[in-house]
Amino acid sequence: MIQEAAPEKPGRQSLSLKLKAARTGSLRKSLRKDSSLYLLALPGIIILILFAYLPMSGLILVFKNYNYNDGIFGSPWAGFSNFEFFFSSMEDALRATRNTVMLNALYMLTGTFFSVAIAVILNELRSKWFIKVTQSVMFFPYFISWIIIGAILFSLLDYDKGILNQLFQSLGLAQMDWYSSPWLFVIILVLANIWKSAGYGAIIYYAVLQGIDTSYYEAARIDGASRWQIITKITIPMLIPSIILMTLLGIGGMLKGDLSMIMGVTFLNPLLLPTTDIIDVYVYRTAIRSGEFGFASAITLYQSVFGFILVLLANKLAGWYDKDSKLF
Amino acid sequence: MQTTESKGLLILFYACIAVFSAICLVPFVLAVSGSLSTESRIAAEGYSFWPRGFTFETYEFLFGSKAEQILRAYSMSVVVTVLGTLTAVLVTTAYAYVISVKGFKLKNFFAFFAYFTMLFSGGTLPWYLLSTKYYHLGDTLLGLFIPYVLSVFLMFLMANYFRSIPHEIVESAQIDGAGHLRIFFSIMIPLGRVGLITISLFYALQFWNDFYLPLMLVSDQDLYTIQYLMYNMMANIQFLASGNAAQVGGAIIAPPLETAKMAMTCLTVLPIAILYPFLQRFFVKGIVVGSVKG
Repeated sequence: MIQEAAPEKPGRQSLSLKLKAARTGSLRKSLRKDSSLYLLALPGIIILILFAYLPMSGLILVFKNYNYNDGIFGSPWAGFSNFEFFFSSMEDALRATRNTVMLNALYMLTGTFFSVAIAVILNELRSKWFIKVTQSVMFFPYFISWIIIGAILFSLLDYDKGILNQLFQSLGLAQMDWYSSPWLFVIILVLANIWKSAGYGAIIYYAVLQGIDTSYYEAARIDGASRWQIITKITIPMLIPSIILMTLLGIGGMLKGDLSMIMGVTFLNPLLLPTTDIIDVYVYRTAIRSGEFGFASAITLYQSVFGFILVLLANKLAGWYDKDSKLF
Repeated sequence: MQTTESKGLLILFYACIAVFSAICLVPFVLAVSGSLSTESRIAAEGYSFWPRGFTFETYEFLFGSKAEQILRAYSMSVVVTVLGTLTAVLVTTAYAYVISVKGFKLKNFFAFFAYFTMLFSGGTLPWYLLSTKYYHLGDTLLGLFIPYVLSVFLMFLMANYFRSIPHEIVESAQIDGAGHLRIFFSIMIPLGRVGLITISLFYALQFWNDFYLPLMLVSDQDLYTIQYLMYNMMANIQFLASGNAAQVGGAIIAPPLETAKMAMTCLTVLPIAILYPFLQRFFVKGIVVGSVKG
């Protein structure tokens, strides 16, 4: 046995010996070797510092009375006055927080439901070309930007010219003014999100289902299980761990809002702000557009800190649920 | 009995998927039809799934009197997508290589240095102030792609591809005296090309579709990308409709507005639609690998 394996082994051994020799070579040589690694990492390090780490330090803005000439670091200290402002206009902060969490929760619930449903159904179908074609078609909206979706939505929802109101009219129903009904528009946002990302989400769940051992299904079929029983007793239980995991990890992003989505679909329509004024939109409106930095800096800090806590919590929960899935 | 129930369910399943797929495509039919309609009939009768008064007037208008603006925005989008993707792929793969080198002492540190930015973020406001006041990225071509050239998620995805390359190949190159730069450029990049194509496509899609960076950093019309031009058209119409025209800059495109929006939509989606059939499988692979490895 040993002799049979021998022809392979010496090769490997000599290789690792040679490597050892190379590793224990002069210190300078290894430093020089590593220095090219630093060189390779350098552009990435610079980008991370400029666009991620320095903005973190920019959070001291909340203790500053910001003015453009002195900048973030030169502006005079303001103590806790920005926080006082924050608590005095608590209503705005609460509305922005509620909208962010509400929309994210709705996206997550409906998105997961549709993604799982599509994956489970695709898993039942047998026609290869049908699966291939429909999967491609359902994935396509993921590639479309929110501004394009917004333009198309406008032609569906516009009061006078929109397709939906034409339909309502022909059915003898009252026309709807979608762009001035903030709560109705939540439905539009949720549907638009399903349209854009359900096919994308289904890919992940479908991949999980493709990995399931077919013997489960064969055994169930031999036992005379119906299609519906197979779905509810085998397929869906198999997906539950992935669903729970994706949901837990999704909790980490609950306070992150998608400014591009709201801008693209509502064009910051003031009438819709009661439900579309998420934290990111609020910061954009008040600080970047109108130049009022005090309150926006306080809500930015609040979003960062609570967002961080949520991410840690989500990871903790995911790790507690499944050790392998712990991200750090 | 059971088979008929099963069959019924199966037909229902086929129907569900067919209907949802149709819903995914119908909006594009609406856009194409709108772009081929006449402005006056859209204004009078509303949008339709079938062109109202079949005409190429809108496209003639866009490529006639508005050609300069449209073509400039279009080429700006192409430039941003190409430059952005090239830079991003170089920065990302280099960083991914560093954290995937076996035996490099600081690799975990560098991995965490990148990972931490996914956990904690300073938010939009400090980012915006630094980018405009300190880095002077406002109204520059650089500002339209530099902030996005390192996606930590794609970097980890790439590192996974690098780690799957057999270590023996790297070892033998090291023995032959190759340094890390040499190994990176002449071994890792060619061998990791599936990963490279995947992350390139994700980046290209992001740059083509982005209108966050122009929204934040651009006011010069010469730097408008096609997405941002589109946004301004839409926002103008919206604000004109709701009486808030003063809130946005001057009107960019004169009528035919409704059909022009739809034609612009078609022109923006067209490159994606053409490339999609060929590139789709790389995205699928990337999503599956990315979701498994986190």
